[in-house]
Amino acid sequence: MTVPVFAIVGHPNKGKSSIVSTLSQDESVAISPIPGTTVENRRYPMTVDAEILYELIDTPGFQRARAALEWMRSHTGSAVERAATVRRFVEEHQDDPLFSAECRLLAPILEGAGILYVVDGSRAFGEDYEAEMEILRWTGQPSLALINMIGASDYSDDWQQALGQYFRIVRVFDAMTADFDRRVQLLLAFGEIREEWRSALETAVRILREEQSRRRMLAARVIAELLARMITHVQRRRLAPDKPMDTVREVLLQTYKQDLASMEQRCRDEVEQIYNHRDLERHEPRVQLLDADLFSRQTWLLFGLTRQQLIATGALGGAAAGSMIDLAVHGMSLLLGSGLGAVAGGVSAWLTSDRIANIKVPGHSLGGKELRIGPMRNINLPYVVLGRALLHQRMVEERTHAYRGPLELAPRPEQLHLADATIRRQFEKLFSRLRKQEAWRDDLVTSLANLIETRLRTATSH
Amino acid sequence: MTHTSLLGNLIELIEVLDADFAIDLEKRKQRDRGIGRKLQRYRNKPATQIRVWLQEINPATARNNALRGTRLYHALCLGLVIAGLLTGWGLASTVLFYDGNQPINIVNAVVVLVLPQILLLLVWLVSALPMRLPLLSNIGTTLGFLNPGRLAGHLAGLFGEQETRGLATLWGPDNVAILSASARWLFSFWSQLFAFSFNIGALVAAFFLVSFSDLAFVWSTTLDISNATFHQLITTLSTPWSSFFPDAVPGSELIANSRYYRLEEGSLAGAAIPSPQLAIDLGQWWPFLIAAITCYGLLPRLLTLGISWSRFRHHLRKALCNLPGAPELLARMNSPLVTTLAVQSEETGEITADNTAAGPDATRYAVRCQIVDWSGACTRPDEITIQLGTMGIEVLKFLRAGGRMTTEQDQELAASLCRRKPEGVGIMVRAWEPPLLDFLDFVRDIRRQCGRGKPVIVLLRGEQDGVSEADRNTWQLTLARLGDPDLHVEAIGQTT
Repeated sequence: MTVPVFAIVGHPNKGKSSIVSTLSQDESVAISPIPGTTVENRRYPMTVDAEILYELIDTPGFQRARAALEWMRSHTGSAVERAATVRRFVEEHQDDPLFSAECRLLAPILEGAGILYVVDGSRAFGEDYEAEMEILRWTGQPSLALINMIGASDYSDDWQQALGQYFRIVRVFDAMTADFDRRVQLLLAFGEIREEWRSALETAVRILREEQSRRRMLAARVIAELLARMITHVQRRRLAPDKPMDTVREVLLQTYKQDLASMEQRCRDEVEQIYNHRDLERHEPRVQLLDADLFSRQTWLLFGLTRQQLIATGALGGAAAGSMIDLAVHGMSLLLGSGLGAVAGGVSAWLTSDRIANIKVPGHSLGGKELRIGPMRNINLPYVVLGRALLHQRMVEERTHAYRGPLELAPRPEQLHLADATIRRQFEKLFSRLRKQEAWRDDLVTSLANLIETRLRTATSH
Repeated sequence: MTHTSLLGNLIELIEVLDADFAIDLEKRKQRDRGIGRKLQRYRNKPATQIRVWLQEINPATARNNALRGTRLYHALCLGLVIAGLLTGWGLASTVLFYDGNQPINIVNAVVVLVLPQILLLLVWLVSALPMRLPLLSNIGTTLGFLNPGRLAGHLAGLFGEQETRGLATLWGPDNVAILSASARWLFSFWSQLFAFSFNIGALVAAFFLVSFSDLAFVWSTTLDISNATFHQLITTLSTPWSSFFPDAVPGSELIANSRYYRLEEGSLAGAAIPSPQLAIDLGQWWPFLIAAITCYGLLPRLLTLGISWSRFRHHLRKALCNLPGAPELLARMNSPLVTTLAVQSEETGEITADNTAAGPDATRYAVRCQIVDWSGACTRPDEITIQLGTMGIEVLKFLRAGGRMTTEQDQELAASLCRRKPEGVGIMVRAWEPPLLDFLDFVRDIRRQCGRGKPVIVLLRGEQDGVSEADRNTWQLTLARLGDPDLHVEAIGQTT
């Protein structure tokens, strides 16, 4: 079976490289408004353990299509000779700098690559495209036209009319915003241009779907590890007799906060790497939401639990503790223990909502005293961190590699809070066990990762 | 298989995974999948797979730290063994001290050498239980100070930071959710190691004293306990070994003969027996004492030592697979390596602009010229004529080039245009289309035909929203390649 190869061709600056970048999930593709940025063919094979399933080739745009077509017309007799004429053109102009772009882009097509002709559907059709399309038709290779919607205007109907005369299949595709499903749908559409390529592309799509699901699981694991680390994190400092306690306390608290913030940053870097985003710009005004200080009031209001959720979550923990009394007296307390526990837990959660972690001054094992901060006792902070991490993961997963701007997503309030009480309870159970550093079952992080993964999957399917 | 210990591997892995973060994920994927494919036989043994992976990547620095950590661990084990042996020996020697005056009270010996061990064993059982109930958790924490394993933790603190760094990660604040189970069983193992050594020390001391001195054992109590009751008690205590070691079960005669009263200078119940025989009889308690220490001290500790050792290893293995980054590593090793990235780096064309070309643009012209409509850019000639008029460009005529015209027709147009010695030439293009070499050829041709000094104005026509700044920049930058000082770029209408 031959490996499907597709040459992405077209006018310069119409998004060929953007499409390649999105489909190959490669942000190293140079995308520039200056025509002629792509000067050489660049291959993007999809490989599975070194076995190539298909290959995309990014090519330079046409530069002298009219002149090339004129040469071909003057060197051909009948329609039968057209493909051979194109081949002759390439052979004769291989070293001619005048037709360097045309020779490079036609070479893979003459070797059997399918044609993906890219135009910008947000700009009006122009007659200078006709020569390009005519040359491609002369090659006789299977082809598909892609209307890439770069701008806001929509001329796709005009383009459909024009392209329909040269290409059997025409598809509209926005390389900047296409989500994963659209990307794989496009790959499947490539299979329509040649029957023998269909099976390989279906296999490729299946593997890409599996890979996407693996990535989501890995991202969930990384987020779970972040939460576990943050909740259980402890900072200690031995107290010198001559240093005032308040100064050491303040310094330690700052260090503790910095530790949590850098853990969060590291998690973000890891999640971005999982999705092949290596150089994301996060420090832009539009991503203030994620850039804002983890401990800022705005962040907590956005991502943390609401007042009711906070009290309910605290009450849940209190009730669980109080139920031990009920259990001990075989229920003769008429669930008074659970009730009182719930009230105490709720009130405590509300009163201590601003405190991140307990600060204690236990004795040091080698004598003297030490100041210790952590593990995290605050009920709200894990939800703040989780909310931010979930939002960030979604932004990264949905982002195409063609898009080079800063991370951008306008979240709706319901996306930030864990509105479902059942899910919140499941999270709270795990958080509370982590808070107690209860590690007798060390699959705690795995359980948390699974819960997060379910949440990510549900969010994506919505 | 692997060469280093599980503990060493865990210390090594913590460091390697931490350092791994600095390596690009794609490179990690390639590296780990490469190794993973060779290790597919261990696919269902993730801990082994990770250990062999460590061996394959052979991280020098991490390995040194792991070796240091393992050395410290062994040193602490040795320290605890020595401490246990000395304590056992010391305590047994003290309890079994006999200078010929005051015989050894067997009840004291059993209470000191055996009873606390049984109690401590119960404490261990409580701490070894899964602490799901808060009450048990609190008991475990409260009684933690009795754990000799803690001593090792404190002893480790006496070594330098570099020495302890590896081992201390087990009970450090990082990864506590994953490593605390290993740390707990490590302390338990140390604790049992101490206790086991203690029993060995006590037994060796007892054997030594029995072998090289004469000991006289008696039993004594203020309570109203008859010989028969005491015999019953001793027989019950001896049940575990009575069937295969009957000599270690004191008989009723021995019990009757060795009852001791301290009144005045002390007297024995069996004082009627001749002295040498009595001395032999009183020494007959030693098999019972040895058997009691062995049965209630040494053997249970051997069992708990084994359990602790196996649980420690079990949790080390689990931690190897659950450390932050380890599941990801396993996924990289065992999942197919899917790549869609380019195989080679990209060569991009660089535009070197001549700063003297294409600018500065005149804001107001005073030229009468013919306008070349390039590739059908001029859709509303009347409107455009008015707009150009406001820029000081009087339109004489619109001419067609580019698009459906042939290059030969373009050349003829340039020639006929320049033959009329125009004041300047305007070329109208669609601003959103990039300037191709095809267009640059035409501009060069115009310049060649018309000569230097004549302004050639490239007029950018936008859509409804005008000409974007980006499009204008693209045109200016590209046309600058021609190095023509009289070539201007102008946007018709507003620039957005």
